[in-house]
Amino acid sequence: MKQSKWGMVVDLDKCTGCQGCVVACQAENNIPSNEKSDYDEDRVIQWIRVERYWEGTFPDVKARFIPIMCQHCDEAPCEPVCPVYATYHNSEGLNVQVYNRCIGTRFCANNCPYQVRFFNFWEAEWPDSLKNQLNPDVTVRSRGIMEKCTFCIQRIRRTKRDANVNGFEIDDGSRAINPACVNACPTEALVFGDMNDSNSKVSKIKEKESKKSGRGYHLMEHYGTSPNVIYLKKIEKNKSHSN
Amino acid sequence: MIPGDFRVPKISPKILLISCLGTLITLVILIIAVLFVGSAWWTQPLFGFDEGPDQPIAFKHSPHVKDLGMKCTYCHRFGTEGAAAAAIPPVEFCMSCHRVVGDDNKEIKKIRDAYNGGKPIDWVRVHRLPDHAKFYHPPHIKKLSEKNNIEASEVCSTCHGDVASMNKVKQVSPMKMGWCVDCHRANGASTDCTTCHY
Ligand code: HEC
Ligand code: HEC
Ligand code: HEC
Ligand code: HEC
Ligand code: HEC
Repeated sequence: MKQSKWGMVVDLDKCTGCQGCVVACQAENNIPSNEKSDYDEDRVIQWIRVERYWEGTFPDVKARFIPIMCQHCDEAPCEPVCPVYATYHNSEGLNVQVYNRCIGTRFCANNCPYQVRFFNFWEAEWPDSLKNQLNPDVTVRSRGIMEKCTFCIQRIRRTKRDANVNGFEIDDGSRAINPACVNACPTEALVFGDMNDSNSKVSKIKEKESKKSGRGYHLMEHYGTSPNVIYLKKIEKNKSHSN
Repeated sequence: MIPGDFRVPKISPKILLISCLGTLITLVILIIAVLFVGSAWWTQPLFGFDEGPDQPIAFKHSPHVKDLGMKCTYCHRFGTEGAAAAAIPPVEFCMSCHRVVGDDNKEIKKIRDAYNGGKPIDWVRVHRLPDHAKFYHPPHIKKLSEKNNIEASEVCSTCHGDVASMNKVKQVSPMKMGWCVDCHRANGASTDCTTCHY
C-alpha cells in the first residue's frame, strides 16, 4: 500500500462557528465534558476549538471564526522536547501521542505555539448516563498524561484494516477516511485527506490555493513548523453589498 | 556491669537453630516471591494460575471441536464487517443444538434456563489486553492463514494453543508487547507505536 500523508484544509469562508466539530470530537474521542470551573481554571480539554474574534466596532462589527486543532506540523516543536519519545512523527505524517509512554512532563504543551495539547489534571469522569457511549476504539486517558488531536487515528486504522481484509480501495467518496469533525461539519468547511495522493480533494485544494493568488496559508507560518493543516482566508465581501 | 565490660551473651543452641531456620524460611519465601513476580512480569506466572478461570457453565471445547468437528470460526464469528472481537456466541446460538441435545445434562439445563429466562450467560473473560493496546483478529487471521496456506480455524492455535484439549480455556501466550512485536518483526508487519496504541 502507498504511504499516506494526512492533511486537512479549513475553509474559513465556510465556517459558521456552529461548534458541531467540537461536539463531534468530544464524543468520538472520549473527552470528558468541560465544566464551567474547568474554563475558569483554564484547564479545559478541547482537541478542536472554535476561536471567535470581533472585527470593527458596533454597529459595524463582524464575527470571525477559526477552528483550531493540532496542526500535525512536519517540524513539530512538541516532539524534540519529550524526554521519553512519547510524542513523535509517524510514517503517515501524523504527530502522535503514545499515552502509555507519556510521563506527564508537559514540556510538549509548553513548546506548542498553537495550544492544542492538553494535560489531564484529573481522572476523566462521565455521568452514568454517558458511560455506554464511550468509544471502545479510543483509549480513555488517565490522570497525569498529555493528549491531543489524533486526526481520529482510530478511524484511519479501522478503514485501512477493513480495506486490507475486505480488499477495497480507499477513496474520497463512500470509502473515505474522515475524522469526526469533518463528518460533522454542515458546511464542509473542513476537508481531510491524503496529501500524497495527487487526486485527493485536499491535494487539489492545496495545489490551487497555495498559488500566489490563492487563499491558502498556515497558522503562524513564521515559526517554520510546516503544519499539515491549511487554512483558506475568508473572502471579503464588497462593502456595498454588506449592510 | 561495668561499662566496657563486654561479654558475648550465651545463645542456646535451640534458639540458634530456630533463628537459622527462620532466616532460611524467610529467604526461601523471598526467592519464591521474586521468582513469581518476576515471571508474571515478563511472561506468564511460573506456577499457579495455570488453570483457566471457572465458567458459569462447565463448557468444554473438546466435545464440540474434537467429536463434532466444529470449526472455531463457526462459533467465534468475526463478522464480514471485520468486527474486532472474536466474541463468544450468544445463548440462542447454543440453543440451535441444545434445544434437542443433552436432555439430562445439568450444565445444558443451565443454558436452557438462561435462554428461557431471557438472560445472557456471564462468561468469564480469559484474555484481556489493557485498554491502551488495540488488537484486532481479522488482519491476523487473514495474513497468517494466507502465509501458511491454512484454514482460518487452524491459525488460532498460534496464539491460543490447543484450546480443544483444554478443560477450561486458559491463556498460553504471554500476550505482552514483546511477544506481539517479535512476531510483527518476523512477519514484516508494522511496529509503529500507533499500530497498537491510540
Ligand atoms: C460450540 C461453540 C464453540 C466452538 C466450536 C469453539 N468455541 Fe471457543 N468458546 C466458546 C464458548 C462458549 C467460550 C466461553 C467459555 C469459555 O471461556 O470456556 C469460548 C471461549 C474461547 C476462548 C477464551 C475467550 C476468552 O474469554 O478470552 C478462546 C481463546 C477460544 N474459545 C478459542 C477457540 C478456538 C481456538 C476454537 C477452535 C479450536 C474454538 N474456540 C471453538 C465456544 C466455542
Ligand atoms: C452443532 C451443535 C452444537 C452447538 C451449536 C453447541 N453444542 Fe454443546 N454439545 C453438542 C453435542 C452434540 C454435545 C455432546 C452431548 C453429549 O455428549 O451428550 C454437546 C455437549 C455440550 C455440553 C456438555 C459437555 C459435557 O462435558 O458433557 C455443554 C456444557 C455444552 N455442549 C455447551 C454448549 C454451549 C455453551 C454452546 C453455545 C456456545 C453449545 N454447547 C453449542 C452440540 C452443540
Ligand atoms: C495473533 C495472535 C492471535 C490469533 C492468531 C488468534 N487470536 Fe484470539 N486473541 C488474541 C489476543 C491478543 C486476544 C485478546 C484481545 C483483547 O483482549 O483485546 C484474543 C482474544 C480472543 C477471544 C476472546 C474474545 C475477544 O475477542 O476479545 C476469543 C474468543 C478468541 N481470541 C478466539 C480466537 C479464534 C477462534 C482464533 C482463530 C480463528 C483466534 N482467536 C486467533 C490473539 C490471537
Ligand atoms: C503470530 C504472529 C503475530 C502475533 C503474535 C501478533 N501479530 Fe499483529 N500482526 C501480525 C501480522 C502478520 C500482521 C500483518 C497483517 C497484514 O499486514 O495484513 C499483523 C498486524 C497487526 C495490526 C495491524 C492491523 C492493521 O492492518 O491495521 C495490529 C493492530 C496488530 N497486528 C496488533 C497486534 C497486537 C496488539 C499483538 C499482541 C497482543 C499482535 N498483533 C500479535 C502477526 C502477529
Ligand atoms: C504490535 C503491537 C505493539 C506495538 C507496535 C507497540 N506496542 Fe506497546 N504494548 C503492546 C501491548 C499488547 C501492550 C500491553 C501488554 C504489556 O503490558 O506488555 C503494550 C504495552 C506498552 C507499554 C506498557 C504500559 C504499561 O502500563 O506497562 C508501553 C510504555 C508501551 N507499550 C509503549 C510502546 C511504544 C513507545 C511503542 C512504539 C515504539 C509501542 N509500545 C509499540 C503492543 C504494542
